[in-house]
Amino acid sequence: MAVSPVATRAPIYEGTRIPHPVPTVLRVPDELRATGDVMTVNFGPNHPSTHGVLRLVVDLFGEDVVGLEAVIGYLHTGFEKNMEQKTWWKAITYPERIDYLSYQANELVFVLAIEKLLGLEIPPKASWMRTCLCELNRIHSHLVWLGTSALELGAISMFWYCFREREQILDLFELVTGARMHTRYFQAGGLAEDIPRGFFPEARKLVEWMPHAIDEYEAMLSRNKIWLERTQGIGLLSAADAIALGQSGPVLRASGVDWDLRRAEPYLAYPEVDFDVPVYHEGDVYARYRVHVDEMRQSTRIVAQCLDRLEAMEGEPWIADDRKVVLPPREELHTSMESLIHHFKIVTEGYRVPEGEVYVAVESPRGELGCYVVSDGGPRPWRVKFRAPSFVALEATATCMSDALIADMIAIVGSLDTVMGEVDR
Amino acid sequence: MALERPLAELGLHSERVLWPDKGPGRFEQEVEALERKVGLTTLEKAVAWAQTKSMWPDTFGLACCAIEMMSIVSARYDIARFGMEAFRSSPRQADLLIVSGRVSNKMAAPLRQIYDQMLEPKWVIAMGACASSGGMFNNYAIVQSVDKITPVDVYVPGCPPRPEQLMEGIIRLHEAVQAGVPPAYELRSVAP
Amino acid sequence: MYEGVPGVTEVVEAHGETTVVVETERLVDACVHLRDEEGFNFLSDVSAADYLGWGEAGVSGYIGTAAGRDLNAPMTQGLQVLPRPKPKRFSVSYHLLALSADPRRVRVQTWVDDGEEVPSVVAVWPTADWHEREAWDLMGIRFSGHPNLTRILLDEDWEGHPLRKDYPIGGEPVRFSEEE
Repeated sequence: MAVSPVATRAPIYEGTRIPHPVPTVLRVPDELRATGDVMTVNFGPNHPSTHGVLRLVVDLFGEDVVGLEAVIGYLHTGFEKNMEQKTWWKAITYPERIDYLSYQANELVFVLAIEKLLGLEIPPKASWMRTCLCELNRIHSHLVWLGTSALELGAISMFWYCFREREQILDLFELVTGARMHTRYFQAGGLAEDIPRGFFPEARKLVEWMPHAIDEYEAMLSRNKIWLERTQGIGLLSAADAIALGQSGPVLRASGVDWDLRRAEPYLAYPEVDFDVPVYHEGDVYARYRVHVDEMRQSTRIVAQCLDRLEAMEGEPWIADDRKVVLPPREELHTSMESLIHHFKIVTEGYRVPEGEVYVAVESPRGELGCYVVSDGGPRPWRVKFRAPSFVALEATATCMSDALIADMIAIVGSLDTVMGEVDR
Repeated sequence: MALERPLAELGLHSERVLWPDKGPGRFEQEVEALERKVGLTTLEKAVAWAQTKSMWPDTFGLACCAIEMMSIVSARYDIARFGMEAFRSSPRQADLLIVSGRVSNKMAAPLRQIYDQMLEPKWVIAMGACASSGGMFNNYAIVQSVDKITPVDVYVPGCPPRPEQLMEGIIRLHEAVQAGVPPAYELRSVAP
Repeated sequence: MYEGVPGVTEVVEAHGETTVVVETERLVDACVHLRDEEGFNFLSDVSAADYLGWGEAGVSGYIGTAAGRDLNAPMTQGLQVLPRPKPKRFSVSYHLLALSADPRRVRVQTWVDDGEEVPSVVAVWPTADWHEREAWDLMGIRFSGHPNLTRILLDEDWEGHPLRKDYPIGGEPVRFSEEE
């Protein structure tokens, strides 16, 4: 690519709006404080916005938001410490609960990190199926985002429209993996099980229906006067500020930066898949909405291509053959002593991952989801750290909130697409 | 009335169970007078029926279980059939607290505050493994079950529980309320 | 390629990734150099790791080839390899990305002991604000020059730094129904 991904158009606003000295806290100017008209309101951890337990301490001057601080940690679960206690196999169950809307992306990043440390090659069928499921998960995540964000802004019926498609996607997940959420289908080396029969016709039905569903959503919102008034020009974030604040994913692409890890640093089957990356330059809430909706369309395209390739791969192995890491097929346990020993060692002690440290990043629906894994060569991870895109997105709230009214605040926080499980880990 | 068999047959004496220590007050005297006049089944039973048929939950979604809780509002699982689609944001207006998700130590105090703000009668459903027992997170950060903070009426296991499972828990709660089982705060206090 | 970075002591290439180890005092200079000269305009992540107890339990290599066999160590089949020793107790790794048409990643690593401070890079990349607060909160590493170094994920009055290796996992013993 010869063209720089960073926006070449004129910036949305002059200079930088990142607050100083603390980049994440909007501080009330002293002269306003002196008027005595500034009211501090607590948007506490329990509030009707469905983003979870986020607390915003907001200073209001009338309807203007003049001071803002985000307090997080109400969902801190200690994932990273818990994963250090479990073997690598058991630890794979944990990352899914971190970002509970795009659970397979979390699983994927951890499993990719394990495979990178092991130097394990996965079969193409596993690669394509992982791509397919991750893209379905992307659609799922965007649907929930759209339903709940629209709900907060008053477009209540969007919730039911989006969740109707979401149920179809969860039916697919249940068909393949056995669970609606937290599927635990990715294994170090490939997939846990083969793709069951009946997946392809059902998935094709979804792929054919999805563009019509997205047309319905756009018909309801994209040219809706109320939606436009409430989302255009709100929550501006310029490209330079977005990069300085570490934004990624739809927030970055809505600010005009053409950056998508699926294309810039491809992984799984993305190099062989045809898709566009939507980029908008206005940097406001409406642009983020457009990016999300366009990404849903592109994900549907990717899923269709994956299905085509997967149907041709009927009968191929779905997991790597390395018996030190991967369980042998059960039929072999009856006849082969080595298989029995391998099975025993993997199940009881767990496989050992060689010493080293890696950082793997994937494009989750929220942005760059990274996993830093340090292994000491033993059966348990030494240190696992997840770089959560929502954690970083919340750092941008103070910047986006300049010149915002209190009603805009809900729209802006919603558009950053935060999942508190990820923020607090 | 939705119940087929009279409660006396089942051996339940709902008046005594519902108001265990309280002596007869003005309300009870009026109830007796009304019953004599109108000839209804016990007014408390009617009250219990009314409570279950529109038991409004509070928006208390914490983590992954919250997403499945949202999906019972969606069209396929439709909690509106049971009169519960009105999730109230203010705990003062809510009857039911569905604790959906892991309760961290930092969140324990706000959770208790929300519970205290709810008006009696109030019920608590611990949804999911994390709210029921701490789930897979037996560590420094997570309260090992919400019943250390509030008394719980129904525990719904699962990680996350399917929407049908949650609805089963809700319906069992409705049946218990109709049968006269008092809310949990009258029966037990928080776990040690 | 990264020999010109101020304060660099070691450049490690492993698993397709480059780790540049710098001296803690020259960290900010190194970061400014990497941002301005090498084009690493994006800070992905700041990760702290605690290496207390590293290598005390010998672990088997993956394939298991080592000189010398101690047949008494359990579950190692006698093929015991100790991981390479670490210079100090804590490592702080900065994962940088050159967000451009030619994307590159690099990890800047610095080592500190308990009580030593690391200069904050908030002035270089504002996104480091919360990452460093998290490292302080969970790992107890102080960042000098940070404008707001307070706890972020745990309660304000929490004592201790949970992700350290000498902090217990916590939780409760699980009682099973058959037990008394």
